Amino acid sequence: MNPLMYPLAPQAALAAGVFGALGLGLLVRPKPVWGCVLAALAPLAALAALRVVPPGYWPPLVDVDAKSLGWQFVIYAGALPLAFCAPGDDVETALFLGATLGMGLLAVAGNLLMLFVGLEFMSLPAYLLVARSGEGPRGRRLEAAVKYFFAGALAGALFLFGMALYYAETGRLGPGAAALGTLGRAGVSLMAAAALFKIGAVPLHWWLPDVYEAAAPEVTGFLSTSMKAAATLFLVRVIQIAPDPMFGAILPWLGAGTALFGALLALRQERLQRLLAYSSLSHAGLLILGVGAWARLGGDPRALAALLLYLGAYALMSNGAFAFLAATGLETRSQLRGYAARSAGASAAFAVLLFALGGVPPTGGFLAKLLVFWQALRAGLAGPTALAAVASVVSLGYYLGMVRDMYFDAPQDTAVPRTVRAPSLVLLTCAIGVVLLGVAPLLRGLVGGLWP
Amino acid sequence: MSLLTALWVVPLAGAVACALSGRAARWTSLAFSLAALALSAAALRPVLASSGAGLALAGGAPGAFGVSYALAADGLSLSLVGLTAFLNLICVAASWDLDVSAGYWACFQALACALCGVFLARDLFLFYIFWEATLIPMFFIIGLWGSDNRRRAALKFFIFTFAGSIFMLLALIAVVVLHQRATGEWTWNLAALRGTDLGPAAPWIFLGLLVGFGVKVPMVPLHTWLPDAHTEAPAAGSVMLAGVMLKMGVYGILRVALPLAPTVAAAWMPLLTLLAAISAVYGALCAMAQTDLKRLVAYSSIAHLGFCLLGVFSGTAQGLAGAALLMINHGITTGALFLLVGFLYERAHKRGLSDFGGLAERAPRLAFFFGFSIMASIGLPGLNGFVGEFLCLSGIWQSSLPIFAVLGVIGVTLAAVYALPAYQAVFWAPEGPGSVSAKVRDLGARESGILWTLCALMLWIGLAPQPWLAALAPSLRGLVR
Repeated sequence: MNPLMYPLAPQAALAAGVFGALGLGLLVRPKPVWGCVLAALAPLAALAALRVVPPGYWPPLVDVDAKSLGWQFVIYAGALPLAFCAPGDDVETALFLGATLGMGLLAVAGNLLMLFVGLEFMSLPAYLLVARSGEGPRGRRLEAAVKYFFAGALAGALFLFGMALYYAETGRLGPGAAALGTLGRAGVSLMAAAALFKIGAVPLHWWLPDVYEAAAPEVTGFLSTSMKAAATLFLVRVIQIAPDPMFGAILPWLGAGTALFGALLALRQERLQRLLAYSSLSHAGLLILGVGAWARLGGDPRALAALLLYLGAYALMSNGAFAFLAATGLETRSQLRGYAARSAGASAAFAVLLFALGGVPPTGGFLAKLLVFWQALRAGLAGPTALAAVASVVSLGYYLGMVRDMYFDAPQDTAVPRTVRAPSLVLLTCAIGVVLLGVAPLLRGLVGGLWP
Repeated sequence: MSLLTALWVVPLAGAVACALSGRAARWTSLAFSLAALALSAAALRPVLASSGAGLALAGGAPGAFGVSYALAADGLSLSLVGLTAFLNLICVAASWDLDVSAGYWACFQALACALCGVFLARDLFLFYIFWEATLIPMFFIIGLWGSDNRRRAALKFFIFTFAGSIFMLLALIAVVVLHQRATGEWTWNLAALRGTDLGPAAPWIFLGLLVGFGVKVPMVPLHTWLPDAHTEAPAAGSVMLAGVMLKMGVYGILRVALPLAPTVAAAWMPLLTLLAAISAVYGALCAMAQTDLKRLVAYSSIAHLGFCLLGVFSGTAQGLAGAALLMINHGITTGALFLLVGFLYERAHKRGLSDFGGLAERAPRLAFFFGFSIMASIGLPGLNGFVGEFLCLSGIWQSSLPIFAVLGVIGVTLAAVYALPAYQAVFWAPEGPGSVSAKVRDLGARESGILWTLCALMLWIGLAPQPWLAALAPSLRGLVR
């Protein structure tokens, strides 16, 4: 067996899923829905395959380190809800698995070339997925997809250009270059800008609300969790390959600014999916703050662990929130009014997720925020952290505002769409998971206190 | 399960049981409240009897992130836990006839659980989780069962307190980080963090803590959420808000802020005392201007908590003891006042001072209890309010800034100025043309029973404060400058 294949076992599982879905679509008529469901569950196989992956460095392309394994776990787990909720037809299944495969490749990238391959591999299917998915007007989806494509193409071009500049100065595509000159620093900045584009940092975020609003809710859940995790790792990898002190100085303020900007804009949104898009922007700000703290701490693994936990918690919260939209078919905030009286279970689970998104204990959202703040203060970033704290207070305005709408208002007379079962299960799982995550650090002590 | 764990787990189990028991929820709630009160009495009895050191429970070994499950209880903690359990039972009794869903009862149990956790936790992570967890049930209590403007008041309450506490969280993290830099050990344990050298960050850390706790107290100028929240909450919600939740702020200052940054606290003493004195006087002045009875009681809380803070910041043994006792007293007295206003509102659906008149004849029992509680509230000697306020004032008189005692005395006088005319207008003035006094029937047996209990406590603490002071003193000894 090729020694390269073993570390890439999860990616192989995903590739098998892609071919499986496409092959079924070719061979079987009528549409093989159950076959597609099976193929869509390839992320589960990838998660299982993670257990046999040996950590190590296979120069020049593949680097499976601790963070690579952690990130792959979050990425594949974050993709499960989409696989579970809306497998769609054979093409959509293949596209979704292809994007996940790209993220998996990005996660093991050991040099810039591989990073670029991963970036493109994850982005291209995502454009098509946005164009094809969802029940909204076709024109809007296409427009969003084209916008997404141009933003992504711009990011790709920036990255390539930056890579060329970097290579021109250092003669390398991997880590280990000496201190950089002007050309190299310009290259690194361009590469980081590409990553910030993908994460959605202000002012490179303009594509994000439209895309998140137009796609089907489950797809947006996938984009906002797995894709965001991959993009964060992308930024981390760029900084790791070409460390430069400017990242520690710029990223924290950029992140805190993004967090505040997203929170302020989300306040006045009427459409729920757009609101959650801005909320996702705000969370991305905290991730960037976390990356900045990590860069400032000189690559401390503890700071990366905080980021990873944030991404894990966010995977639960965001997937759960979009699953709520998918399950209930609600579109606007005014439809949310009095919803608790109509569907107590879904509302309660959504309320838990909203408290978690707002960072209220005892939920995983609080723990995640706490850890990022903690690492930022360790890195001496008092100013950006305080700004991010203000953003998180502002964000309560809409998270709690939605809880208020659901619980404190009289029910509306308008007809409310059906509740769908598969997303409801995802919603419930995410709500329970996020609470368990929140009390996890205390669990041992609590159990000891209850049964000494 | 140890006693300390049981003190917060029993109400938590109560919350779950209430949520599941549907129409029988009030009985479930009564049973669990009685159990919680019995437990806290069992914990409090040895402390009161021996003015003893209290109970300590070593938490488990530190788990992930240096977090440990550390609980401990001394006189201060147990008095407040006892107050929580007692007022919770009072609330259950007072709400008995309300037509509310099971969620109402579950929220009160959940609130009691979180409050007890706050007073018992000795690990700052645990403390913060309980601290924030109190907001969630109260948010729903105000928002679901409050009066007309409840939607806005609930959100305002939550966001204000959250905004304060997130800065407190940053300050706590900073202490943990500094402690790790000095010793290499990650811990959130309060005892271990005490004495950490905060260096140049100390003023900022103290400021963060002060904002977090000051919003809760509330200390002027962080008080603006309070009148809305207290006025819009249902009667029992106001009792818990004013009776216990405000005490979290003072407790936090005593337990966390002063021990972690004693030097800053000492240096800022003039400013802090000034803010406390302003709270005392400003709260009283605002109360004078109110025409809504419930709002008046709400503003009087700001004034009383101002006295509390005067005692705390005086740094003298008497002042601290007075502040601690005033916390308990204010819980009982203001609890009674909010209940009485609630009973009045239940009957007439009005709260304005000018909506009533001549109630003393129509509802003599109501008038008696109201008068009794008002007297306790304005500090009539022989009742509980006097002891705490006197100690606070004498504490500040002995401190380095006796001038603030003068301001405090003005506040005491103003208390009579706002409370007595209000009492007179509602109960003794002739009925005006728009009066709704005719709708008010007198208190029934259940309601009278509740108030007899509260008034008996006011009298008991007023006549014999010694056991309480003795139980509270050991907790405060380390804070005297």
